[in-house]
Amino acid sequence: MKALRFRFIIILAAIAISIYLLYPTIKDYQNTKHISEAVKTKRELVKKVNPAIAVDQLDKILQNTSDSIKAGDPSIRETRAKRIKLGLDLQGGMRVVLEVNTVKLLEKLANNPDDVFRGILAASGKEAALSDESVVDIVGANFQRKGIRLSRYFGTIRQDDAEILKDLKKQSEEAVTRAKEIIRNRVDQYGVAEPSIQLQGERRIIVELPGVAKEEEARQLLQGTALLEFKLLKEPEFTINIMEQVDKVLTGKSLVDTSSADTTKNVKKESKDSTLAKSDTSKNQKLSPEQFAKEHPFFSVALINPQSQSADAYVKSDQKEKLLRMLAKPEVQNLLNLNNAEFVLSAKPVTYQEGQGVFVLYLVNKTAELTGSVVTNASSNIDPSTSTPVVNMEMNSEGATEWARITGANINKRCAIVLDNVVYSAPVIRGKIPGGRSQIEGSTDLAEAKLLEIVLKAGALPAPVDIIEERTVGPSLGQDSISQGFNSALYGYILVGIFMIFYYRKAGTIAAIVLSLVILFILSVLAYFKATLTLPGIAGIVLTIGMAVDANVLIFERIREELATGKTMKASIDGGFSKALSAIVDSNITTFFTGVILYQFGTGPIQGFALTLMIGIGTSLFGALVVTRVLLDFLLNKGYKITLG
Amino acid sequence: MQLFHNLNIDFMGKRKFFYVLSASFFLLGLLNIVFRGLQFGIDFKGGTEIVVKFDEPIKIAQLRENLNATGLGEVEIKTFGDNTGALIRTELQELPANLFPKIRERIEHDINSSFPSVAGNFQSDKTTKSLTYTFSNSDTASAIAQKLFLDGFQSGKVTEEATNTQVVVQVGISDWIKESLKNKAQGNAFQIIREERVGPKVGNELKVDTIIAVVLSLIVILIYLAFRYKFIFALGAVLALFHDVLITLGLYAVLYNIIPGLNLEVSLTVVAAFLTLIGYSINDTVIVFDRVRETLKIHKTESLESLINLAINKTMSRTILTGGTTLLSIFILLILGGEVLRAFAFTMFFGIIIGTYSSVFIASAFVLDYAMKYHKKVEF
Repeated sequence: MKALRFRFIIILAAIAISIYLLYPTIKDYQNTKHISEAVKTKRELVKKVNPAIAVDQLDKILQNTSDSIKAGDPSIRETRAKRIKLGLDLQGGMRVVLEVNTVKLLEKLANNPDDVFRGILAASGKEAALSDESVVDIVGANFQRKGIRLSRYFGTIRQDDAEILKDLKKQSEEAVTRAKEIIRNRVDQYGVAEPSIQLQGERRIIVELPGVAKEEEARQLLQGTALLEFKLLKEPEFTINIMEQVDKVLTGKSLVDTSSADTTKNVKKESKDSTLAKSDTSKNQKLSPEQFAKEHPFFSVALINPQSQSADAYVKSDQKEKLLRMLAKPEVQNLLNLNNAEFVLSAKPVTYQEGQGVFVLYLVNKTAELTGSVVTNASSNIDPSTSTPVVNMEMNSEGATEWARITGANINKRCAIVLDNVVYSAPVIRGKIPGGRSQIEGSTDLAEAKLLEIVLKAGALPAPVDIIEERTVGPSLGQDSISQGFNSALYGYILVGIFMIFYYRKAGTIAAIVLSLVILFILSVLAYFKATLTLPGIAGIVLTIGMAVDANVLIFERIREELATGKTMKASIDGGFSKALSAIVDSNITTFFTGVILYQFGTGPIQGFALTLMIGIGTSLFGALVVTRVLLDFLLNKGYKITLG
Repeated sequence: MQLFHNLNIDFMGKRKFFYVLSASFFLLGLLNIVFRGLQFGIDFKGGTEIVVKFDEPIKIAQLRENLNATGLGEVEIKTFGDNTGALIRTELQELPANLFPKIRERIEHDINSSFPSVAGNFQSDKTTKSLTYTFSNSDTASAIAQKLFLDGFQSGKVTEEATNTQVVVQVGISDWIKESLKNKAQGNAFQIIREERVGPKVGNELKVDTIIAVVLSLIVILIYLAFRYKFIFALGAVLALFHDVLITLGLYAVLYNIIPGLNLEVSLTVVAAFLTLIGYSINDTVIVFDRVRETLKIHKTESLESLINLAINKTMSRTILTGGTTLLSIFILLILGGEVLRAFAFTMFFGIIIGTYSSVFIASAFVLDYAMKYHKKVEF
C-alpha cells in the first residue's frame, strides 16, 4: 500500500508538471484571441471614421494597436516564449533554402577574366547545380583538364594550384558565414517573430520566417546584398538649418532659396536663425499640438532637444512611417540632394517612452567616406582600463590610408556606421587614426558591442545568394490544417476510447482515461523541449492514440488468460503485467529506432512527426505500465470489482 | 466481450496459400511499378508547385488553357481541396531558354521606358538562370535594380560596393505563372496559399537519403532482433518488412490516378509513412515472436509448427484489436486530416493491414520453413 501511495504521488506530480508546462500555451491562445478581438474592434472603428483609408495604412494602424497591447503587458511575451510552437505548415510562413553563388564570387575574385575563363566558369556552374562537390573543386578540376594554371586568373604567379584552391575555398566559406550574419541582421530588423536561420552543408543557409506571407518583400530581404558605409555626420548647426528648411518645405511655404550656393552663403545667418528657431519652437509648444503639427510638420514628428549639443532628433516608433513619407517627398529629396545630405535612422530604439521605442534621426553626408569592404576584422570586448565595452576594428592598407586622412580632417566630428541605411553607431572621431586600427566606444553593453562587431564584419555581401528551395504556406491553409488536425485527434480519441470501454468495460475505462493522460503528457513533453508542432506531428499524435492502447490490450489479454486458468484477480493482474512486459518493451524499442532514424533523415515537418512518435512511445509506455497498473491496484485494494468485459 | 476466444486455427498448414497470395500481390505491384511507374512528388523530382485558391469555383480545363499560353510546356493541374483550389506544377525549376527573349524584351522595355537616358546603353550577359546587365555607372544600376524589383522582377545589384555597375535579374517560374494567371483570370481573384520550389540537387539528395533511411532502419531492426531473438527470427522479421514496403509501394503504382481526390505521389510525408509502417509492422511481428519464444520454453517437446500456430492463435485477439484501434485512428485521419495528410494516412491504412498480415503469415512461416529445411531445432 505504501509503494502504491508513492507511485500515486509520482503520477499526480507528472500530471501537475504537465499542466504547468502547458499553461503558457493555453494562456497564449487566450491572449492571441484577446488581441485579435481588440484589433477587430479597432479595424471597425477606423473604418467608420475614415472609410476611404488605404489598406496598407490600415494595416499599420492595426499593427500598432496589437504591438501596444503586447508592449503593455510583459506576461504576454513570456507566455508566448514558453508555448508549444507551431510549425510553418500550421501557422503559415516561408521556408527558404539559400545557396551562396560561388560562381559569381569566383568571377569577382578573378584578376583579369576573359572569355575562356567565363566559358569554364559557366560550364562549372552547370555541373555544380547537380553535384555535391564544392564549386571551387569543380572549377579547379575543369581548369586542370584544360591545362590552364589557376594562377593565370587568381592569386599571384608564384602560387601553385593547390594553394590557390585552398585560398578560394576559404574565401567562399567566409562568404557563406558573412551572408548568414547579414541575413540574420536583416531578418531581425524586419521584425519577424521567432525566425530561424541555420547553415546547412557548405554553402547553404536555411531561413524560416513564420507568419511572413509577403514573398516579394522577404525575397528582397534575403537576396539583396548588404551595404556597410561610413558616413560623416553634418555639423549640428548645419543640421538644424536643414531641418528648418525641410520643415518649411513641408508646410508648402518654401521661401528660402534652396540652391546650394545660397545655403553655404547663408550658413551664418541661418544659424542665428536656427537659435531663434529653437526658441521659436519652444514658444510654439504653447500652441495646441494640432496647430503645431500644422505649422511645423517636421518638428512635430522629429523632436529635438534644445539643450543638447548635438542636433540628433528623436522619433517615436509610431511616427517613423510618417517621417519617412515626409522625407521621401521629391521637394525634400531635392533639398537634401543639393546639400549632399541624407537623413538616416538608428537601427534600434535608444530608449522607450510610453511603451514605444524612440529612434534617433541623424543627418549625414550622402556620399560615403568609405564602404565596409575595407574592414578586415572587428572584435568586441571589455576595455580593462575603463571596464566598458569597446569594439576594435581593423582595415586593409588601402582603407587605412583613407581612414587616416578622413579622421585627421574631421577630428571631433561624428562618423556614422551605416548598414543597409540604418545607423548602428555614430561615434565621435577623437583624433587621427593611422594604421587602420580603430577603437569604438560608447556601446552600453557587450551585446550591443557584439552586434556592432557583426555589422562591421558583415560589410558587403561578397556574392549573391540564390534561392534553391522555397516553400510558402499561406495562413489560411495553415488554419485549415490546424482544425483538421485537431478534429482528427479529437474524434480519433473518442472512437478509440469508446471502443476500449465497450470491449474491456471497467478496465477499458481505465485505459481510456490513461489515453487522455498520454495525450496530455505528449503535449507537455513537446512544450518542455520547446519543440515545434507540425501537421505531420499532429498525425503522429493521432497515430499514437491508435497505437498507445496496444500495450494495454497486450496486458488485458494476458490478464484474461491468467484469469482463465482460475487465478484470483490480483494474481492475474500481477501475472499479466509481468508476462506482457518483454513483448511490450521489444516491440516499442524497435518502433522507437525507426523514429530516431526518421528524425535524423527528415527536415522540418517530418522531424516533428518523428519527435511526437518517439515521445508518444515513451509516454504511452509510462501510461500502460505505471498509470494503468496503479489505477488497477488501487481499485482492487479499495475492493472494487474489476471487469475485463 | 471477447473475440477469438480459444481460437484454434492451423495457420501454418495454410502457409503455402499465403505465400502464393503474397507473391501474386507482390508481382502485381512490381509489374505496375515497372510499367506504370511510381509518381514522385515535387520533393523528389524538383520543380515548381503552386497551390492557388480562387474566390469562385474554377474549371481546370479553363485554367489549363490559360496556362498553355505561358510557354512552359507540360504544366500539371489538379484540383486541390474543393473546386476553388488548384495545384499547378511543372517539373521545370527555371524558365526554359526559349522564353528568355520574351522576358528579356519585357525587362529591356521596362528599363527603356523608365530610364530613357540609358536607352540602349547597356550590355547584357545571359547565363543559365539569370540576366546580368552592365550599366555605365553605379547610380543608374541601383536605380534600375530598384525599379525592376518594384515591377515584379527579382532583381538586385551584383555587389553592393559603390563601384558596382551590374544588375542581376532572375525570373522564376512561379512569378511567370502568377503573372499569366493575373492577366487571364479577371473577375475571379485568387490567392496563393502554398508555393514550393525545389532544386534538382535537393531532390537527388533526398532520394539517396530516403534509401539510406529505409535500409538503415532495416539493419538496425535486424541487429536488435538478432540480439534479442535468434538470427533467423530477425531475418524473418526483416523479410516481412520488405514484403510490406514493396507491396504497399506496388499499391501506389496500381492505384495512382484511379481514385479521384487521392493524390498518390511519393513525397516526403509518404516516406515518413513508410518508415512508420516499418516501425508498426515490426512491433506486430515482435509480439508474435515473443509468444513463440515463450511457448517454445514451456512446451519443449511439441513440434515447431504447432507451437507457432499456438502462439499466433493466442495473440490473434491482440493483433486484431491493436490493428483495429490503429486503423480506426488512421481512418479518422484519412477522412478528416485534409489534403496534406491524405497520402500519408492512405499509406498507413493499407500498410497496417499488410503489416499485420505479414507478421502472422510471412515472418513466422519463414522461420518455420527455414527450420524444417535445414532440420534446425529452434530454441532459446
